[in-house]
Amino acid sequence: MNKAICMVGALALLACGACPANGQDARQIMTEVQNRTQSKSEHYEGSLEVINSSQKISKKRWAYDRLGVYGNSRSELRFMAPPDVKGVALLVINHPERASDQWMWIPAEERDRRIALQDRASRFFGTDFSFEDLEERDIDQYDFKLVGEDTLDGAACWKIESRPKESKMSQYTSSLHWVRKSRYFLVRTDNFIKDRLIRQIAYRDVESIEGIWTALTVAVEDFTRNSRTLLTLAKVKYNLPMKSSDISRENFRQ
Amino acid sequence: MGVTVHAQGVSQRGFIEMSGNLYPQIVPDDNAHGISEVRFRYEPKWQPKSWLTFTASVEERVDTHRQDARTLQIDWNNRSLRRPTLSVRQLFTAFKRNNLTLSVGKQFIRWGETDFLNPTDRFTPRDLLTVVDQDVLPVTAARLTYTLGDNTLNFVWQPLFTPGRIPLVNERWTIATETSYRFEVGDLGSKFPGRSSFGARWSRTSAGYEWSLSYYDGFNYFPSLNTTIDPALARIAFSRSYTSLRLYGGDLALSLPLLTLKSEAACYTSPTNKQDEYVLYVLQAERQIREMQLVFGYSGEVVTAHAGVQQFLGERGFARAVFGRASYALDANRTLTLDVFMRQNGGSALLRAGYSHSFGDHWRASVNYVWLNGNANDFLGQYHRNSFATLGVRYSL
Repeated sequence: MNKAICMVGALALLACGACPANGQDARQIMTEVQNRTQSKSEHYEGSLEVINSSQKISKKRWAYDRLGVYGNSRSELRFMAPPDVKGVALLVINHPERASDQWMWIPAEERDRRIALQDRASRFFGTDFSFEDLEERDIDQYDFKLVGEDTLDGAACWKIESRPKESKMSQYTSSLHWVRKSRYFLVRTDNFIKDRLIRQIAYRDVESIEGIWTALTVAVEDFTRNSRTLLTLAKVKYNLPMKSSDISRENFRQ
Repeated sequence: MGVTVHAQGVSQRGFIEMSGNLYPQIVPDDNAHGISEVRFRYEPKWQPKSWLTFTASVEERVDTHRQDARTLQIDWNNRSLRRPTLSVRQLFTAFKRNNLTLSVGKQFIRWGETDFLNPTDRFTPRDLLTVVDQDVLPVTAARLTYTLGDNTLNFVWQPLFTPGRIPLVNERWTIATETSYRFEVGDLGSKFPGRSSFGARWSRTSAGYEWSLSYYDGFNYFPSLNTTIDPALARIAFSRSYTSLRLYGGDLALSLPLLTLKSEAACYTSPTNKQDEYVLYVLQAERQIREMQLVFGYSGEVVTAHAGVQQFLGERGFARAVFGRASYALDANRTLTLDVFMRQNGGSALLRAGYSHSFGDHWRASVNYVWLNGNANDFLGQYHRNSFATLGVRYSL
């Protein structure tokens, strides 16, 4: 499901071209996950439902565009609804070896502003995604370990644990990934702080779009708040002819 | 709004808002305790081609205190003392070709990096009718932007001068001394500059930092006040003129592991020696802690040459002060904010507390209270009787 995965916190790994065989190590598996979901650019329209602990539902819609490959891409997310936040946009420029730079465009102020994001655990616009979940992450900044096998929704999966290296600042102590063996497709990630499960991200309704397996539903559950967010993807397109100036601070302001 | 980089077609947004300001105290020339206003804004956008965009924004506003004009004439120039009833906020065309973008028409052009005060932001005149609720005004201009890698060059030509708005005479935000209230005030009008303004900005964005250098040659959008006093007739007459100025400025933003630092500075010179020459600067630090965003900083001023003219201070009136802002998102629909401003010499202080709550897809209600305190000889302190509460309800289209 390509960047849809990457965008919501699946490991966006630097392509290294390794092709795993049976019995391969965890890093090879995760690299293959990335390779199979790689595209030069992507567009989708997302519908969000945030269901809080009181079962109140708030809805948002956004359009997402991304240009570039893992760890070195730029993306723009622009809210389409509700009307209250329509036009508010987020520009993210990812760097392979450091945290991304982010700016927010607020139409009411007619200006963009750089976002201070020292705490990447902050929730993104009241959803259950944290800003860190929205970042692409570099495979070289994580250690991987194959911890076992499991069956999820009837499909055989590898269970792979990742831990950020010392140089990597992350809210999570570790993450556990379920990768479907038949497609090298990430179907679930559990994120932990110490041994406590904080956030679970599940990838559902998988379809092949332009040859790339894509989850059209991403479900995030925040166990600290007892709330969850459902992101539904529509109009997914890959490898659109985009230029870097299409996703830039200048274009962002238009 | 064009919702994606590939979207073509028509999009729109807007709102209708009802708000009321409640003032517990009256002032010598204004005994109103309440002011209410209704505002409607509609902003269509049409992108017939990926390289061509038309953007418009029109606004209608009516209030109970005549800070808004009551004529149905559409205002293009934004030169009126009162806010126009009907105004064109934006009407411009943007042509985009590779790394070049040309925007022509009435538009907002914002420069600068900091939040509380933007010393380099000269193409956005301020509306200070209600001094502490600053609004920005558009300008009629042509803007050419060229982007090459991490570098962006901006050139702006503004043929038609747009003044900032200052408080109205005989109104609670007027700048006046106690004795002047006993005088009849005569407004002799404004003299606007005849020539155009020009600006250029070079900005560079890199991983973890960005900076820019800017130059402006134009006019102060806040007026010099030419005043004559006739004690025998108890009459004060004044006119407004707008002196030329040049600005050399820059800004820098730096993301550090613990803080994001932002700074902005501008050196203002007066080619005609008809206004003060000074340096305005802002140092600001930000940090996000979960759902709370904290901003604190200092805005400073160094006057390098006094011209000895009476001038509305505008943004200079907010310098030499520490400021802070805390905002906390309670959840997806509710936000708390707190703004603090304190003059370094204790001459004035401002505290603004706000709560905003959205209901459903369209409605948002907000409550704010602004507390003002200070001395009569301080730009902000003179409004120490103008503390007020605001209630607002907005329906977004």
